[in-house]
Amino acid sequence: MSIALQRLRCVFGSFVAVDDLSLDVGQGEIVGLIGPNGAGKTTTLRMLAGILRPTSGRVSVAGYDMAQAPLDAKRALAFMPDEPHLFEYLTVEEHLRLMARLYTVPDFERRARVLLDELELGGKERSLPSELSRGMRQKVVIACGLVRDAAALLFDEPLTGLDPIGISRMRETIARRARAGAAILVSSHLLHLVQEMCTRVVIMDRGRKIADGTVEQIASRSDIALSGSNLEQVFLHVTGHGPTNAGHD
Amino acid sequence: MLRAGLYIMWCSARNRMRRRIQRLREPRYLTGAAAGVAYLYFAIFSRARSRRPAGSAGRGGVGATPTTLLSLLGPSAPALASLLLLLVAAASWIFPIGSGLLNFSRAEKQFLFPAPVSRRWLVAYRLLRAQLAVLISASVLALFYRGGGAGGQLRSALGIWMFLMTCHLYFAGVTLARRRPSVAGTASRWIGRIPFLFTIGAMGSVAAAVGRMVAARPVTDFRDAWDTLGGIAQTGLPQVFLWPFTAVLQPFLAATSAAWIQALPAAALVLLAAAAWVLRTGDVLDTGLDSAPELQPARGAARRPLQYRSRPSAWVLGSAGRAETAFVWKGAMQTFRVVDWRLMLRGTGIVVWLVVASLAVNRARGFSEILGVLAVFAMGFTVAMGPQILRADLRQDLEHLELLKTWPVRAASVVRGELIWPTMVVTIVAWACGIVALTFSAAVFNSTGRPWRMAVGTAAMILTPALVLAQYTIHNAAALMFPAWIHLGAGRARGVDAIGQRLILLGGTWLTLVVLLLPGTIVGGAIALALYRLAGPWVCLPGALCCAAIIGIELVVATEALGPLYERLDVTSVERAE
Repeated sequence: MSIALQRLRCVFGSFVAVDDLSLDVGQGEIVGLIGPNGAGKTTTLRMLAGILRPTSGRVSVAGYDMAQAPLDAKRALAFMPDEPHLFEYLTVEEHLRLMARLYTVPDFERRARVLLDELELGGKERSLPSELSRGMRQKVVIACGLVRDAAALLFDEPLTGLDPIGISRMRETIARRARAGAAILVSSHLLHLVQEMCTRVVIMDRGRKIADGTVEQIASRSDIALSGSNLEQVFLHVTGHGPTNAGHD
Repeated sequence: MLRAGLYIMWCSARNRMRRRIQRLREPRYLTGAAAGVAYLYFAIFSRARSRRPAGSAGRGGVGATPTTLLSLLGPSAPALASLLLLLVAAASWIFPIGSGLLNFSRAEKQFLFPAPVSRRWLVAYRLLRAQLAVLISASVLALFYRGGGAGGQLRSALGIWMFLMTCHLYFAGVTLARRRPSVAGTASRWIGRIPFLFTIGAMGSVAAAVGRMVAARPVTDFRDAWDTLGGIAQTGLPQVFLWPFTAVLQPFLAATSAAWIQALPAAALVLLAAAAWVLRTGDVLDTGLDSAPELQPARGAARRPLQYRSRPSAWVLGSAGRAETAFVWKGAMQTFRVVDWRLMLRGTGIVVWLVVASLAVNRARGFSEILGVLAVFAMGFTVAMGPQILRADLRQDLEHLELLKTWPVRAASVVRGELIWPTMVVTIVAWACGIVALTFSAAVFNSTGRPWRMAVGTAAMILTPALVLAQYTIHNAAALMFPAWIHLGAGRARGVDAIGQRLILLGGTWLTLVVLLLPGTIVGGAIALALYRLAGPWVCLPGALCCAAIIGIELVVATEALGPLYERLDVTSVERAE
């Protein structure tokens, strides 16, 4: 498995952000990580990216353990966070160049040219982040992640701030990377897009995994029995906000 | 509408106080608060209480009135102070000075700008909101400068408050008026320009008077120039133009209650005029020009972040090589792209101050001597304070910790990479000062022989990078060990606990520096003593080289040891400024 989480747990003081989470993403798979606000999705992604240390459990990327071989694990990983934090003093091209240096990308010039065109950043190479819109900044963050061939890609709300054309292109980009063999984990609240893009869905609530599988598999679970439903209906039901649960609330 | 403004102020103050009290449950804040309270008590209140009466105030220092202080500079000093104010006022039209009055927070912009209130109301609200901070500043300053009991302190505090408020209003008005001409009607455009025209008139009248005076009688020395300027400021047209500047200073300078009461109406008139001007020009905010740099709020704080300008760079980062080089390149890009007039003005201010100080100390014993003294001061200042001022290292990059943590770079390499560029910058500046100091050293240290001057100067230059890097290592170690005490970006933490934290960090930094330098100093000193008979003054060089090498080894070990600290550093422990 390119991404493997085993019994992951993260505790902040007395608050359990992620509890006993196990999850695998194989090569070429696009897994959607969804859940209500505060479900622990971003914390999970940050532990996967090596930003947060798990309280317990194991994270492995492309076979490298994040605790034992962090540099190898990070080299195989690209994390695209939801908030586009960029260096305010580096241009778009320089951000890519810096990433190419840190990740040792040999044919940087060619890759950068293709990527900038693909993400519609052509002509913005010499712009500073302060000169870009929120959506453009988001694209720069994504370009920084895609400038190398990472075995595992983590997207946290990758479609936030993008225009409809950008969203469409981003979906194509993600799908292309999956076809090329990357393991992709996408966290998003845009359920219809997750349903269209992802081969599998993991639903989290209050730090725990409450469902894992294709939409059809989850919908046909004996405790749900919503066959033929879309992801939104399944999600609302699983998280206790569906029509049948409303009466209990 | 006033009630709405007061409600925001009350809620903000109450919640801020509540949060500060709540965070005292954490030991780091409690320790900081204890240190801060102790500092405030011993530095201000206990000294203020033990002060002698105003009449017996000594030369300067605590207990002296501002009048006493100015009288030490001669009878022309008050008039020259007005002249200085005029210069600052005129300069602010070219280099706007951020008064903070119009620094709307993001929340204020989001909620108040679309609200059905006039822009003048917004400006009035900000004026109201600034009062507490200005009053606190005035009260603290009054404690330092004024003797004569509670009445005297109250008079002084009010005088300083009027002065500070007038300055704040003026600078805010300049910021608004500079953006007004293109958007306002003819009548209000002229209203916005009145202070500008007045300042031009004042500058013109002073310049003309100075020209006439110099043509009639050349100035002989600094004291003569000082007295001549003072005389000009107190006669004729310049005196008329300088009246508003003199008026705002008078309550602050008044030595007695009678003088204070007499000075009050004129100062109040100037203050009211400035307030009316700012309110009148406040509708400039209607045009969406609130995005002007001077009106930009900082990231969650009262200060504005640095502005960067896109410029082509000659240094293109290669796609292979050491990670440390990538950090150096990143630091270089940051330095070359920063454009901050405030920084340059401050730098100019420091240089001017140093020139004046060296002039005062040396009594004009020649240009080369002044330049030499200045260079020595500048080198010392750069080495001692550079690492505290230029924070282009982990102290700034903790803001990007989430990004840095995802990079496949050894932790020790990250730490080292972050230190190298700022060390290079500070060292180069210090070396430049050192070269000037060496060039003019004969004029400054005229009783010391050339070999000694050259040897000591070169030794100082050898030690400079080691000393600078040592300080950067300590500052960054503190940032990694106590990330909550390092405040990010342009923001600055407030509160008694923050004062205490800064004091503890400063004390710890200097103490650690002494410990770090001790082995190198002992070995270097021993070598110098042992070889003195052989090499004479030049023995300083092997001593300095040895000392620098030992410090260098210590620092390599220290950065390796900081690696695990960086790895363990929790992103949630990094504190964003209030």
